[in-house]
Amino acid sequence: MPTLEAADKAAGRVAYMGDLVIPGMAHAKIVRSPLPHARIVAIDAEAARALPGVVCVLTRDEVRADPDMEEIYGFVYRDAPLVAIDKARHQGDIVAVVVAEDAATAEEAAELVDVDYEELPAVMNVREALADGAPRVHEEFFPIAPELRPQAGTNICHHATIGCGDIARGFAEADFVYEDEFSAPPVQHCALDLHAVVAQVEDGQITVWTNCQSPFPLGRELERMFKMPARVIVPYVGGGFGSKSRDRLECVITAAAKLAGRPVRCVLSQEETFMTFIRPAYANRIQTGVKRDGTIVARRNTFYVDVGGYAISGARSANNTLKVATGPYRIPHAEVNCYAVYTNKPPSSPYRGLPTTQHTMAYEAQLDRIARDLGMDRLEIRRKNLVRDGDTHVTGDYLRSAHARECMEKAAAAIGWDAPLPASPDGKTLRGRGVSCTIKYTLTPARQMSENGAEIALGQDGVFEIRIGTVNIGQGSDTVMAQIAGDALGVGLDALRVVHSDTARVPVDSSTTASRSTYHMGRAVVEAAGVLKGRILEAAAQLLERGADSLALTSEGVEPEDGGGDGGGVSYAELARRVGSPLAAQGECIVGGTYDAPDGKTYPIASTFWTFASCAAEVEVDAETGQARIVQAAAAATTGTAINPRSIETQLEGGVGQELGPTLFEQMTWDESGQLLNAALLDYPLPTMETMPRYEPRYVDHPFEGGPFGAKGMGEVGAVVVPGAVLNAVYDATGVLFHEMPLLPHKILEALDAKSAAAQ
Amino acid sequence: MRPFEYIRPGAVGEASQILAERGDGAFLIGGGSAAVVMLRLGVVRPECVVDLGGVAGLRGIEANGALRIGALTPIRALELDGGARSRWGLLAEAASQVANVRVRNAATVGGAVAYGEPQTDTPTALTALGASVRAASAKGERAVPIGEFYLGPYETVLAPGEIVVGVDVPEPPPHTGGAHLKFTIGSPENKPVANASALVTLDPASGKCAGARAAMGAAGPTPVAAQAAEGLLGEFPSPERIAEVAAAAAEEADPMEDLRGPVWHKRRVLKVLVERALLCATQRAQA
Ligand SMILES: Cc1cc2nc3c(=O)[nH]c(=O)nc-3n(C[C@H](O)[C@H](O)[C@H](O)COP(=O)(O)OP(=O)(O)OC[C@H]3O[C@@H](n4cnc5c(N)ncnc54)[C@H](O)[C@@H]3O)c2cc1C
Repeated sequence: MPTLEAADKAAGRVAYMGDLVIPGMAHAKIVRSPLPHARIVAIDAEAARALPGVVCVLTRDEVRADPDMEEIYGFVYRDAPLVAIDKARHQGDIVAVVVAEDAATAEEAAELVDVDYEELPAVMNVREALADGAPRVHEEFFPIAPELRPQAGTNICHHATIGCGDIARGFAEADFVYEDEFSAPPVQHCALDLHAVVAQVEDGQITVWTNCQSPFPLGRELERMFKMPARVIVPYVGGGFGSKSRDRLECVITAAAKLAGRPVRCVLSQEETFMTFIRPAYANRIQTGVKRDGTIVARRNTFYVDVGGYAISGARSANNTLKVATGPYRIPHAEVNCYAVYTNKPPSSPYRGLPTTQHTMAYEAQLDRIARDLGMDRLEIRRKNLVRDGDTHVTGDYLRSAHARECMEKAAAAIGWDAPLPASPDGKTLRGRGVSCTIKYTLTPARQMSENGAEIALGQDGVFEIRIGTVNIGQGSDTVMAQIAGDALGVGLDALRVVHSDTARVPVDSSTTASRSTYHMGRAVVEAAGVLKGRILEAAAQLLERGADSLALTSEGVEPEDGGGDGGGVSYAELARRVGSPLAAQGECIVGGTYDAPDGKTYPIASTFWTFASCAAEVEVDAETGQARIVQAAAAATTGTAINPRSIETQLEGGVGQELGPTLFEQMTWDESGQLLNAALLDYPLPTMETMPRYEPRYVDHPFEGGPFGAKGMGEVGAVVVPGAVLNAVYDATGVLFHEMPLLPHKILEALDAKSAAAQ
Repeated sequence: MRPFEYIRPGAVGEASQILAERGDGAFLIGGGSAAVVMLRLGVVRPECVVDLGGVAGLRGIEANGALRIGALTPIRALELDGGARSRWGLLAEAASQVANVRVRNAATVGGAVAYGEPQTDTPTALTALGASVRAASAKGERAVPIGEFYLGPYETVLAPGEIVVGVDVPEPPPHTGGAHLKFTIGSPENKPVANASALVTLDPASGKCAGARAAMGAAGPTPVAAQAAEGLLGEFPSPERIAEVAAAAAEEADPMEDLRGPVWHKRRVLKVLVERALLCATQRAQA
């Protein structure tokens, strides 16, 4: 079904952050560092303050002068100052905030802020940052999440290793060991809805309206920073893809609002988003040991994630992907090493599954090289190695609902894998197909705990209000939660309404990220609905003077089970009025801990569920220009029970539409002096409807035990599997295996030239 | 964006006078498709914006011997115009390849010509067709051959206060075929790596080439009219000859390394585009 808000969105009746007007609000413009790394010698804001219409200017001096304002924020990694204190750590770093009566005045005044910078040597990539004697981006480390381990005296803000078996023995047992290095440059999420915040500090209480993906952790961070209670309200959000999962504006604009003494609004320009959060540069070295028959016996993946100037988001997301860096394969001996490294690039954040996407690209491309080398069919080598139910993952988890193979078969069949490719009589069009398979985790706590709650209350108007922290970011979460609540209560969608993501009105939720909401929030909703249903039946039983077990919930109200609707029941509105005290119930989702498997053993849980997915793609390469085009693609994912198939299809489709950009042409580019060259859509190519290939979504919907009605999450995997499949299709078409995204025409043509030169 | 005064004159003379008087403080907009982006990004920061949109008599296409196109004619109208499609097909084809339908509805022919962005399609097509640009000011009107109109990227011979009021495109002789091709990375809204137009006239009696022109965009600071195309004159335009001519044309180009790729690749792409455009134009001339 279409999402509940689809018609309103299409008609322009839904309010986003950009539409929000708070009476008396002033407007902020951020003063940003033009240099990637610079000491801030002096800031002269007098001319800006003197401009008529300017309310105030927030600099390090104002922050330091306020004893009730902490300087450094970050709820995963505490390393970002509200405004730069001693130095700027990336181009676009926040140095000051100008607040004025209107946006144009703020913009004009921002140019009058005179900052004296002393340029420092910058480290613009991981290689430079790891070199001996490299300039340090941060002198100290402040990891908050317990799993984060910086390496003192270096730019490594996090390093971790996991593994299973005995890696040395694994390589020794292998007949062949393959080694490859892969890389991918940063890209920007380019969500339609630009980062926007309105902050108000009034009567010792903070209220922040924002399009952030983690309202509850943000609220707690605001409370710590400003030592007063905070409420965070998130309206409908027009996409985030990870760029809004952590705070980069909210604390700063709250500080500005506190200084201004009135509400302050800040909406970033598209250009500024390129300096706010980006998908990090990625590089890895992957070694795989195989038997002559194609059985994988060992794999080591050492990967480097460029977190940029602040680790507020990037370090932990890099760490999370340790769990999936060896792929959806049964590998007895494995080791994964993660390095998250500070550089002077803008801060990084997740990007629709990142960096699982890059891991997948790497291990899938290498697997095709291995298959070709061993003379094996590319599907066959995967069939042989893909995980099955009951296998143990590199994390030690017991895998269940591991329908990895079924995903691959479905995706391959959907593009007609076995049909002959069209011929190219003049040899100018090269065609090929490729497939890729992945495994994706969801965020899971280290020990057993409640990750989120949901509340359902029957209103006086007879409508059930579902109160959830899940941010409606375009993924259709309100609809899925209403469907789940409706099914669990036994009422139709007309009797339901969803209130989302207002920390003062809904129970706590950890975040809307990592494909987690359908499963986690769905479970809390099921539990709340179950409890509420019991309460309603009881209340109705008293009112109607009948046994509760002779009554049932219907769309209209509580009816006698045998009554056939001829009276004798009570409508929800009447029930609510007559009961007087609120009819409400809460549910929660407890996850983590250990899993008692059917084999009688107890296993750790590194991920509450694992999502498997595959993509199959067919490409066409113009041998004269080097341009690759995706002719058709299909993706299949394990969804558990498909609660809203239409939402699943559009999530998969959106994943392909988005990820084909970074695969084929998108990249942020810096010049030698560390200046970003394409921080504007004029020069930054994005996919559009016209670049969308013929596309077939598929899902593998075996119910997942423990999920709400058997569902699990799948929001990211449609994107994650794209680059691997396309790289492999281009490999099939050209005979050249690329080790780097994006597959720009000149790169492909260069490789074709080299190949034909070698053949002569 | 800094606030500015907005003026919408009703006549060319008036617009020209305001532009001349206010000098660098004034900024002319046609369809606004590039101009508004320039304003928003702060590339220009005018005191006043002079919107040509209210000037009467600058809209429309007339096919009367030459194709006379008013400066305010949207690119989309050129794409759909029956006369242009039948006898100036190359131009209509180039128009149809500009960005997307939203941009084509906004952007004007005058703006496309005056903007002078080396990657744009319309100037390349007009160069192949040997068009002339009509420019007017309070002092009067003059016609400038397109080959003399551009001085460099975003730079034209227009004097301060001078406005493009139209473009005249001579009618190609009978038995002529034309084609426009572009090469873009990603979506069609992105600036092309390169583009090329070709126009081939055949002698129906002999089947030999009686006229051949090719032009290249993003091939240098201004549109490049490829001299090499004339090498086809008096010959049968065979695929082999066309390939040679296209290779020579690409050597005349002087593309620049930028975000869309290195020079060597642009040259290769230009060769392919000129070759394919000439082949396609020849086929159309034969039809
Ligand atoms: C996203 C996007 C993609 C695009 N892709 C392409 C493409 O693939 N191929 C292509 O050919 N074009 C493309 N364009 C269009 C092109 O880049 C220009 O935007 C367009 O040609 C400008 O026309 P306009 O009427 O909107 O001019 P405006 O934007 O109004 O003005 C552009 C410039 O020309 C001047 N000007 C305008 N009219 C006149 C006049 N009558 N006399 C004197 N000076 C004038 C203005 O002062 C300004 O400097 C694209 C545009 C956009 C926004």
